[in-house]
Amino acid sequence: MPETPRREHLLKVGVSGVRGVVGEFLTPSIAAAFAQAFGTYVGGGRVVVGRDTRASGEMLTHAVSCGLLAAGCDVVQVGVLPTPSIQVYVAATRARGGLAITASHNPPEYNALKLFNAQGLFFNNYERAELVDLYHQRTFRDARNDEIGGVTVERRDAARPHLERVLARVDAARIRARRFRVALDAVNGAGSLVTPHFLREDLGCDVEAIAVDPTQPFPRVAEPRPEVLGDLSDLVRRTRADIGFAQDPDGDRLAVADETGRVLDSDDVLALAVDVTLPHLPGDVVVNLTTSDVIDDVARRHGRQVHRTPVGEAHVVDGMLAVEAAIGGEGSNGGIILPAVHLCRDSYTGMALLLDRMAETGQTLSALAATLPGYTRRSGVVPFEHGRLGAAMQALDAAFPDARTDRTDGLKLRLPAGWIHVRASNTEPLLRISTEARDAATARMLFDRVGQLLG
Amino acid sequence: MTSRALRISPAGVRGIVGPGLTASCAIEFTAAFAEFLDAPGPVVVGRDPRASSVMLHEGVLAALRASGRDVVDLGLASTPVVQHTIRRTSAAGGVSIGASHNAAEWNALKFLGAHGRYLSTPEANELLDVYHLRRTAFVPWDRLGQLRTDAGALDAYLDDLAEAFDLPALRRFRVVADCCNGLSALILRRMIDRFGLSLVLINEALHGVTFAHEPSTTARTVALQLAPIVRPLGADAGFLFDVDSDRVALADGTGRALSEELVLPLVADLLLARGPGRLVITNLSTTALLDEIALHHGGRVLRVPVGRQAAMDELTAHRPDQIAVAGEGTGAVMMPRFRFVYDGIASMLAVLTLMLERGRPLADLVDAYPRYHILKGEVPLSSPRVPRLLARLRARYATGEDAGHADVVDGLRVAWPGRWFHVRVSQTEPIVRVICEQRGEPPTALFESLLEEVRRHA
Repeated sequence: MPETPRREHLLKVGVSGVRGVVGEFLTPSIAAAFAQAFGTYVGGGRVVVGRDTRASGEMLTHAVSCGLLAAGCDVVQVGVLPTPSIQVYVAATRARGGLAITASHNPPEYNALKLFNAQGLFFNNYERAELVDLYHQRTFRDARNDEIGGVTVERRDAARPHLERVLARVDAARIRARRFRVALDAVNGAGSLVTPHFLREDLGCDVEAIAVDPTQPFPRVAEPRPEVLGDLSDLVRRTRADIGFAQDPDGDRLAVADETGRVLDSDDVLALAVDVTLPHLPGDVVVNLTTSDVIDDVARRHGRQVHRTPVGEAHVVDGMLAVEAAIGGEGSNGGIILPAVHLCRDSYTGMALLLDRMAETGQTLSALAATLPGYTRRSGVVPFEHGRLGAAMQALDAAFPDARTDRTDGLKLRLPAGWIHVRASNTEPLLRISTEARDAATARMLFDRVGQLLG
Repeated sequence: MTSRALRISPAGVRGIVGPGLTASCAIEFTAAFAEFLDAPGPVVVGRDPRASSVMLHEGVLAALRASGRDVVDLGLASTPVVQHTIRRTSAAGGVSIGASHNAAEWNALKFLGAHGRYLSTPEANELLDVYHLRRTAFVPWDRLGQLRTDAGALDAYLDDLAEAFDLPALRRFRVVADCCNGLSALILRRMIDRFGLSLVLINEALHGVTFAHEPSTTARTVALQLAPIVRPLGADAGFLFDVDSDRVALADGTGRALSEELVLPLVADLLLARGPGRLVITNLSTTALLDEIALHHGGRVLRVPVGRQAAMDELTAHRPDQIAVAGEGTGAVMMPRFRFVYDGIASMLAVLTLMLERGRPLADLVDAYPRYHILKGEVPLSSPRVPRLLARLRARYATGEDAGHADVVDGLRVAWPGRWFHVRVSQTEPIVRVICEQRGEPPTALFESLLEEVRRHA
């Protein structure tokens, strides 16, 4: 990744909302205008506004509230709250929509607006396009004084509706009985207060936590990738914890360490969640194209199919709606989506499912993970100039004439030995390359081959 | 009227929220203000109870914090309280959100400089340039401004009033105050609690959408609800505040609604007698009674164009100790003791103090003044027709025999001994205002012929 992104990549206004570097790029004017477009689109009524713990969250809450009020909405401010909790709160309180002010796993200088409809779901593609058109046309509703609502600050526990739904999917008594010792790294994010409370009070765990001060900056890279979770691994070992959890700043992504401190592959975490869920719920599984075949193996155990979508939570959610999936997610980024809780990426569901499985089987996490078929993946990025994508795809296609291809998001080549997926990043001028095989040497060989072809 | 739904001028941003004043306008103008402010330090913010003020408040906070300015948020607080807090805390400036005497659908942003001063015209023009150039000073994420509140702001403001006026002595007066659902309610309720003043408040509940009546400080609105209850309540006087409490109108103890023109003369009478200065600064449309009162105390009236900006600019041309008082015939009065801030609460206390010092009821004080009759009218007129109208009026009234003394700095004012008229264009609406005053008798004939002349040009 280039060290200093070019200016045009510091702000994105598009179908995934608004995302940018706060200051010169993501300004209060842009945030307020986008919120006013959103308020216009949902047609007034109650709109929920929450945020993660980023330094710019309060400023953008003002701006977003301003835009929503100007569009004639009533604003319900829930303050710092995990994104899945915001989404469930929108649905549970029958609001007209919601906005989460969070750049999720992006670095602290970024912020973004995530937009939810009345069901607390991401807008679908068509809705998103209409909203962006409204923003660009500046055809906002400008409410007059007697049409302007007010601001309500929610002082009750706004995460409760969400957590109750999570608890309804597991045997909480069984988990509590085990008094698991859990290590937690909440990255000083939106889970800083909610997660320790959830683990202690709802699931009876003995919690050893780091980075649970929402007033402090992120102490590590915001995305919970294995290589940045050394402190969590140390914490697990030092406290002899049964399991370790790491969240991203808005509490939708989850990383998991086993009792030895080893951070599990996030595809394996999703596979375990799928394995726990399928016996209890009807429906297939939906994952993105970059997610491991381990999911297919686990689904096959339960006689279910796996459907693949382009990368991105919104695509996976759309796919899950279409096939009425039992569970879904994105292995590539620690996302577990359980519609029985809510159609959103949710670290709390992941934590509860894994603890429940450990309680049910009495096995350690490392033992549970060892039951999964072994795959090896390699991934990386290459800088990518616009216009080169087509040629790159053709070169790959020609190099692997016998591969089964999927072109719904870049190019996925399925080979006897494994698979290759090459796609353009949604957010940066990069090509993302992933390969997978049963053994490390093959995965590496495929990866290097792609590198040569694109280099 | 949509063409006049928004006015961005040296006085700030004012408009009808929705068709005129929008969220983006508030954010962008406040961002320009943050860029314009030179002095370091926080910015004090207050708002009135209008529903739209909540929206504008969020936008103002976003823009200030995004520009790296710490904010002292007073929430519901009048412009005088915001100004006082700026001065007390040595803040860099302030933003007051509210449309004071305008109807509920209007709103405005007032930008205040160091010491709580209104911006001078050169400063205000620079701010406008910054706004039009869309120059902003948005800072990176780790340098954003912080927010804090100041729960003691109202009490500190009241402490200042208590130093300037003998509040325990004013307890003897029974006063009815019409808060018009505005910010004076918070201030007066606290004054009752802290100083035991005998105030009866009506229309005290803060409202965001409908006010009990039009919030204008005129004899006409005083006559609606306030004046009729003064006598039944056995009160010595009644005061009516606009939503922001920067202006005041009054009724005497007999239940008579007094002309809004009388507030400034009464305060001038008090302050000229005390001798803080000899000058009274007012505008061309304000009663000539002021000249008589000034003369009585050996003082002098300086008249400037209508609007706060002209008054501010004139103030800066004099040493503060030369000035007794400044204000308008709209019930907006500012005193040197309070660093020239329009303050209806202070004006009320000054009038009560005058009653105390002279030992006479308000009705007697007013009746002892020479009787002036002022008539005010307005006629819609498109701007291109104005110069010709003014030229005709000048030719008719300021030349030849019986010519009056003409002043043309703001429309046309022609004065004769004991009689004057002023014809000018409103700063906020496409109308021509006609004001006419005479000592002794109402100037009905002059007023009618002026209106007829104006209508002929419409």
